[in-house]
Amino acid sequence: MALAASALVGGNAFGSREWLMGSVTPEARPAAVSRGGEGATALPSVPATETVLRSQPWWQEVTTLEGTGTGSTQPFEIGAEAIQWRVTATCETGDVAVAVAGQEETLVEGPCGKTDAGYGTDTGSTVVEVRADGPWRLQVEQQVDLPLVEPPTPAMQAPGTVTAATGEFYRLDQRETGRVTIYRLEDGSHAVRLDDFFVTPNVDLEIRLSPLEAPQSTAEFMSAPSVWVAPLDVTAGSMNFAVPPDVDPGQYRSVVIWCPLIDSAYAAASLTRAS
Amino acid sequence: MTAAPATLVPPGPRRPEIVVRGQRIPVVLPRRGDPRLKLSAVIMTLHVLGQTVLDFKVSIAQILVSIVAGALIEATVTYRRQHQLVWPASGILTGSGVAFILRASGTDHGDWWSLIGIGFFVVAVALSLAFKHLVRPGGRHLFNPSNVGLVWALLVIGPSQVFPQYLWWGPNAWGVAFAYAVILVGALWILRPLRMLPMAASFLVPFAVLIGVLAATGHRFVAIWHDGPIAGLSYWWTIAWSPELLVFVFFMISDPQTAPRSPLGRMAYGTLTALVAAGLTSFQPTEFGIKLAILSSLTVSCALVPLIERLTAAPARPARPVRPGQAQGWARALRRPSVAAAVIIALAAPLNTAVLAGNDQVMLIERGLTGEANAQ
Repeated sequence: MALAASALVGGNAFGSREWLMGSVTPEARPAAVSRGGEGATALPSVPATETVLRSQPWWQEVTTLEGTGTGSTQPFEIGAEAIQWRVTATCETGDVAVAVAGQEETLVEGPCGKTDAGYGTDTGSTVVEVRADGPWRLQVEQQVDLPLVEPPTPAMQAPGTVTAATGEFYRLDQRETGRVTIYRLEDGSHAVRLDDFFVTPNVDLEIRLSPLEAPQSTAEFMSAPSVWVAPLDVTAGSMNFAVPPDVDPGQYRSVVIWCPLIDSAYAAASLTRAS
Repeated sequence: MTAAPATLVPPGPRRPEIVVRGQRIPVVLPRRGDPRLKLSAVIMTLHVLGQTVLDFKVSIAQILVSIVAGALIEATVTYRRQHQLVWPASGILTGSGVAFILRASGTDHGDWWSLIGIGFFVVAVALSLAFKHLVRPGGRHLFNPSNVGLVWALLVIGPSQVFPQYLWWGPNAWGVAFAYAVILVGALWILRPLRMLPMAASFLVPFAVLIGVLAATGHRFVAIWHDGPIAGLSYWWTIAWSPELLVFVFFMISDPQTAPRSPLGRMAYGTLTALVAAGLTSFQPTEFGIKLAILSSLTVSCALVPLIERLTAAPARPARPVRPGQAQGWARALRRPSVAAAVIIALAAPLNTAVLAGNDQVMLIERGLTGEANAQ
């Protein structure tokens, strides 16, 4: 009987093996569809795809609240998937204090311009109470490890926009998947889009452009001057990034995911110019 | 009167023994010609290479604990059965073999004394020896102990906690070349006296051909150590000529205790193992699945050894005519616990291996997409 039972577990019948031994596959959850805040309304909404992938935890805007003096805010929703959330307070005169309604402990307290962000972990509908001497502004963000699946920006789809270059990521020091597209937008600026992207999570990763056609190692990448494009705070999904106005992607031949903390090139993509 | 002198008999070689509380317990030490000592020497050499130049993700502590666990279990069982202390060569080999193939998630090469997942190693060794001593349908053990223990442990504990040694033995070309040399010289040293070389060839030739067919027809697999799918010539070379596969062929399939006794039977057994291994491999998209396909193939063919022996033995007398109701013999046999256990093992190993082909977790792990939680 024990043997037969273990045979069933060995076949993961009814999910028994994963129930007993655990799983490294996270539960499938809907990906985030925007960075929140203004970004949530700037892009057309897309259906949230279920995914088992996880990103490096990143901060998603929840809401921005404004008011004057002492009072309670409108309720805002901290998602069930949030690891934690934070509130940053700005004010013009005097002191400011912020606490979750019904709790004595303050999240933020101090003179205007000298307060740190306050952190909470409760999820669901939340109201905070603010005590201030004048006008105040609260920015609320939640930290999630969901992949971010953004649609291309309207500018990327505009009639005058052209695809400048494309590439497929390959491995350097870490695992990766995905494609990169560089757009030349109608107004002459450039934008980068990553599609179906994944790289081994870490903090403070960067997207950089390299003059090398296909760097094969961190040392080779470091042998040529590269240029910073954008921070890669989300490490899984499909995302858009603006290229700094002083950077001309036409001068570069590859995109590299770079970790400045440990001087490691995680992944790279050779760029193929669009004809 | 003088007593007649006692006849002097030259004393024979005294068998060693120990005395515990006045009780004499014979001690049986290993013979110099025991092929298991040779096998131990080869596997230990490969262990040393794994620790030094091949970046095996197993610690010295995991290896030692596995060997000690195998030795203790085997010595205890033998003592209870025979009331003598027998050098536990088989238990040591089982422990060493388990540690050679089993890997516990989270163990990095160079963590010499890591005890991560040590319970899984002990469980795999205990399972191996439990199957050896408890599943004996014909009065002798049917399954190769370390093989069946590894298959069961890998399937039951699962890919989130354990995985088999990679088919690829790392980027150190000199180290891998030396390992190939150790394996091939060891194979000649051990298998030639046992007349097992034709059996090894009967596995390798059809397996290489069938894996070649799979490679030519577009089969591919993913592995954590490789960027992107492995296809074509790499698929063929990595699977059919992996040092890991050669260890399986030369030092696991070739166990004379579980292989058929006749030369023809051994050839059939080698070929059958190759066919089952290639068949199970054909729909595995991951290295984890392919390794289990190869290991499970031996579990299946070991279960069929009694049938192979019956079919390949020279008929000593005319076969008895089948009597009505003879089929009931099968049902009767299945009621015997060890036969039922053997059937469960022989069916569950390949079926559960086949099910792995659709396991998303294994695919995610092999593609390296579980981030920091990666099990390999």
